[in-house]
Amino acid sequence: MIIHTQNPVIEVHDLTASYDRRPVLWNVDLTLPEGSLIGIIGPNGAGKSTLLKAIMGLIPVNSGYVHLFGKTIDEVRSKVSYVPQRESVDWDFPASALDVVLMGRYGKLGLFRRVRPSDREVALSCLQKVGMEAFANRQISQLSGGQQQRVFLARALAQDAQLYCLDEPFAGVDIATENTIMEILRTMRKEGKTVLVVHHDLQSAAEYFDWVILLNVRLVACGPVEQVLTPELLQETYGGKLTILAKAGELLQKEQYPVREKKK
Amino acid sequence: MSFIDFFTFSDPNIRYVTLGCLLLAGSAAVVGCFTFLRKRALVGDAVAHSVLPGVCLAFLVSGQKNPVILLIGAFITGWLSLLVIDWITRHTKIKEDTAIGSVLSVFFGIGILLLTAIQRNGNAAQSGLDNFLFGKAASLVEADVITFSVVSLLLLVTISLFYKEFTLLCFDENFARTIGLPVRRLEWILTSLTVLAVVTGIQAVGVVLMAAMLITPAAAARFWTDKLNIMLLLAAAFGCLAALTGAYLSYLAPSMPTGPWMVMVISLIAVGSFLLAPKKGIIARMQRQRIIQHRMRDENILKALFQLGEKNQSYFQERTEESVLLHRKMNPKELRQGLFRLKNDGYTERKGNQWALTREGKERGQRVTRLHRLWELYLSQVLHIAPDHVHEDAESMEHVLTPELEARLREQLDNPQFDPHQSEIPK
Repeated sequence: MIIHTQNPVIEVHDLTASYDRRPVLWNVDLTLPEGSLIGIIGPNGAGKSTLLKAIMGLIPVNSGYVHLFGKTIDEVRSKVSYVPQRESVDWDFPASALDVVLMGRYGKLGLFRRVRPSDREVALSCLQKVGMEAFANRQISQLSGGQQQRVFLARALAQDAQLYCLDEPFAGVDIATENTIMEILRTMRKEGKTVLVVHHDLQSAAEYFDWVILLNVRLVACGPVEQVLTPELLQETYGGKLTILAKAGELLQKEQYPVREKKK
Repeated sequence: MSFIDFFTFSDPNIRYVTLGCLLLAGSAAVVGCFTFLRKRALVGDAVAHSVLPGVCLAFLVSGQKNPVILLIGAFITGWLSLLVIDWITRHTKIKEDTAIGSVLSVFFGIGILLLTAIQRNGNAAQSGLDNFLFGKAASLVEADVITFSVVSLLLLVTISLFYKEFTLLCFDENFARTIGLPVRRLEWILTSLTVLAVVTGIQAVGVVLMAAMLITPAAAARFWTDKLNIMLLLAAAFGCLAALTGAYLSYLAPSMPTGPWMVMVISLIAVGSFLLAPKKGIIARMQRQRIIQHRMRDENILKALFQLGEKNQSYFQERTEESVLLHRKMNPKELRQGLFRLKNDGYTERKGNQWALTREGKERGQRVTRLHRLWELYLSQVLHIAPDHVHEDAESMEHVLTPELEARLREQLDNPQFDPHQSEIPK
């Protein structure tokens, strides 16, 4: 069940990526429609974060390519925003919440240029949107997990992009934060932006997203939520039917074979 | 050379050397802040040891102690060591710490070998190369000072140009990449700055100890502030203080190596910060713990006095310390100290050998008792924990719960009257 769209905002073509020679994404082919809220769903180790990183051009791929707005990522960086997993950074860094949000303006500023008062205004209004204006000057290690996630979202908002890629934004946050974030994501969709979210909770997936990617190393399904979140497809994603593929991947790693043969 | 002679800087040579030391220590500390925040402190150490063979080779090849040539030699082997470390971690199963450890010792070993060979040739004394191990600020000549100062200024200018990029690189490298920053090039620049910062110190501080001048000021400064710009300034100030002391001592006792003195001073500053810094320092943290301990003890005493009053419905009655101890086991000395503390704070009164609650004391004892019983009820009723397992938990929560949480507890439990042990929950 892989449904393709016309004029996709993201096109992933025959993508294979691996860690230490073990493929974690295997021949993924998909297209995603503009202006929708899209969830990437699958079990642990299914390659959800890897897919997001591959889309953002953060990891080398073995084969295939990703096009955003019909172009390579390097041509459209200013239109794309990435929210990494909260645990991926050291929150004991000497910075305030406002400092972190201001980092969202760096791309627009370019090298050598200092932060301008107008950037500060944008950053403050983004903090306000996530309900964190009272914490602007708070050292980031003193924020709760949910507040840190809001700061990350505010930083993404400060980028003023067209496509937002969020890696597990609901991991380890309280229910109030989850609702706030979801509300903001819906507002963004209303403004015509595309939002791609790595998500691990099946329960809320049907309610949150209008387009869903089911992933377990290979692509199981991709399409409108009501067509994709079916018992059969979920069973295929979460059930233990992929053992041969998993075994083959382990073999590649153990024997240190290349994932792709070198082209002559 | 007396204290006054030195610090009036009347001798132009002293002026030079001191200025040079201040600049190199300050700039190394500023660069070191980023090395520290990027968690590459060990890399700084590896570079510091690996510049030695470069210095020696440059001397052997050129046959003279031209600071620019030595600097180039040091820069080359410093960078080479990093490339080797990188190659080993990438292409073998060896982890980074092992790679750093082995590369550091191999490069340093070669350096010592070359240094010994130079010394055997008998021109080490003229060359002054023997000072490169532990440093001698007083041996800096004008050409050295000028070269190292220019490099130091270059470091400071580069850091100020790339301030926001380096900050982002240290905090969130992946994000930096996604907004299109040239991360690899920035990394290359930052590493080069680290190597150069070490190189500027080879003569005044010595290669071995320069790593300390890179990282220790940053570690010390981090204790005092949560703002990066202030951290940079503080680290620079700490580095300069150490450099000034080192340079002074180098004049006072010319046979004394400068490096160890600078490192001693900066280490003292670091240990001092570790102990004394407000909020993050050990002493401040112990102080906070002590206050909490006292508070808990005092509230336990007030609670005991209140509960004794509950028994005979006489809350302000005078009681002996023994009767309190009968109700609640505690250290008699701590009880006495607590009672006096409470008296000073206006919660108890002393009448002869006996103690009584004041109105405020009764209020507070009542509140703690109330929170204790509310929490017990919450645990058993809402969380279904056995009634005989709830006491211990309530003993600690009674000191922590805020009025706001209390109101929510009351609401959820529907303004209860009795706790799970059928004791009345006081108003």
